[in-house]
Amino acid sequence: MSAVAMLLADSRFPAGGYAHSLGLEQAVTDGLRLEDVPGFIDARLRLVARADASLSVAARRAAAAGDANHLAELDAEHAARCPSPVLREIARRLGAQLLRSAATAWPSALIDDYRAASATTPRPIALGVVGAAAGLDDRSVATVALYDDGATVASAALKLLGLDPADSARWVAELAPEIDAAARSISADERPVAEQVPPAAVGLELAASVHARRTERFFAS
Amino acid sequence: MPAEPAERALRVGVGGPVGSGKSSLIAALCRELTHDLRIGVVTNDIYTTEDAQFLRATGVLPAERIVAVQTGCCPHTAIRDDITINLEAVEQLERDQGPLDLVLVESGGDNLTAVFSPALADVQIFVIDVAGGDDIPRKGGPGIARADLLVINKTDLAPYVGSDVGRMISEATERRAGYPVVALSLTAPPHARAAAAWVGAQLAAFATAGGHLHSSVSGTPDHHHGHAHTH
Repeated sequence: MSAVAMLLADSRFPAGGYAHSLGLEQAVTDGLRLEDVPGFIDARLRLVARADASLSVAARRAAAAGDANHLAELDAEHAARCPSPVLREIARRLGAQLLRSAATAWPSALIDDYRAASATTPRPIALGVVGAAAGLDDRSVATVALYDDGATVASAALKLLGLDPADSARWVAELAPEIDAAARSISADERPVAEQVPPAAVGLELAASVHARRTERFFAS
Repeated sequence: MPAEPAERALRVGVGGPVGSGKSSLIAALCRELTHDLRIGVVTNDIYTTEDAQFLRATGVLPAERIVAVQTGCCPHTAIRDDITINLEAVEQLERDQGPLDLVLVESGGDNLTAVFSPALADVQIFVIDVAGGDDIPRKGGPGIARADLLVINKTDLAPYVGSDVGRMISEATERRAGYPVVALSLTAPPHARAAAAWVGAQLAAFATAGGHLHSSVSGTPDHHHGHAHTH
């Protein structure tokens, strides 16, 4: 793991993730209990984050190869895999925020060109482009994508449910072997993303729309 | 100095503790300035969309020029450490409703250390009030010492809460290296006129400088210059 990957995965990197619970806030409102949170994170990893990480790896490869057309196809692929307009908008905003800071941290035509060309900048594609600009390999990009998903939910849990912050760190620590194994498998997969397993989290997609309409909430998602 | 017209609105941050009157001050500023200026507001609500709704309900601005962002319980992060949410919101507001002359960014209520990054706010106002205790200026902190304008609000309440407004002004002034302090009440004339005049001076300086102002928050704490003084 390189220092650059650590910087990108660090919640102190200004990419706006702290304002998101990735569905946990609505799940807690709907009755999810403290002891269910590790299962929630694990479910996201298997059903959502894994597919997003595959997109990030594909985007890193396309950006590194200078293939702007394929990046545009991956934008469309993300939209096709994300039927919820609320989650597509969240992905666009998180991608835009990541690209904004990354354009300063790693000045690069790769980032500038993608920001100029993409109307939707979904975060998984943006992460791949930033990974290419920062010189990360596929496995690091996949690891950052998966880790960030789990750590964002674990961090949001501290604000939604009363618990020892060390316990939320333990949740992520216990999932680390699964994150590493998934990152290895995703980075070794040479198939086009259209042939890989798509996300499957209808419950999260429906709950996101309910959450977006609430007038009392801490988190943007 | 070049005097190209500014390509974007002046961005004024409004911060300060919970309940000090940030939203009311913004409403009052809009009331004073909206005849001459196109104004937008971004609120950073902590839990509800209360601040944005309050401002919309005042009717001082068209509802679509007031947008709210959620900050995941981290109001200080959203204005200082990771400002990407607010920058996106401000730019989106300017794209959708622009051109605007002035965008006011209201921080979620926070503590005395919460100041805006100069990359988000060209200049910033810190709002405290007499009911929060007249020792607040003496306690200091970045908001008191370094905001471009310090507003001491709710002077009408001073007799009821035993606060000495004169002492608050003098102790705040001592901490602020010449930067302005305005004490006001929003319940009676002249309301926010002094603060609105300060904003007007910042707008004039921003236009003259072609969209560049040096906030007192930029750089090292004792590095004060290039800022429009009104006193």
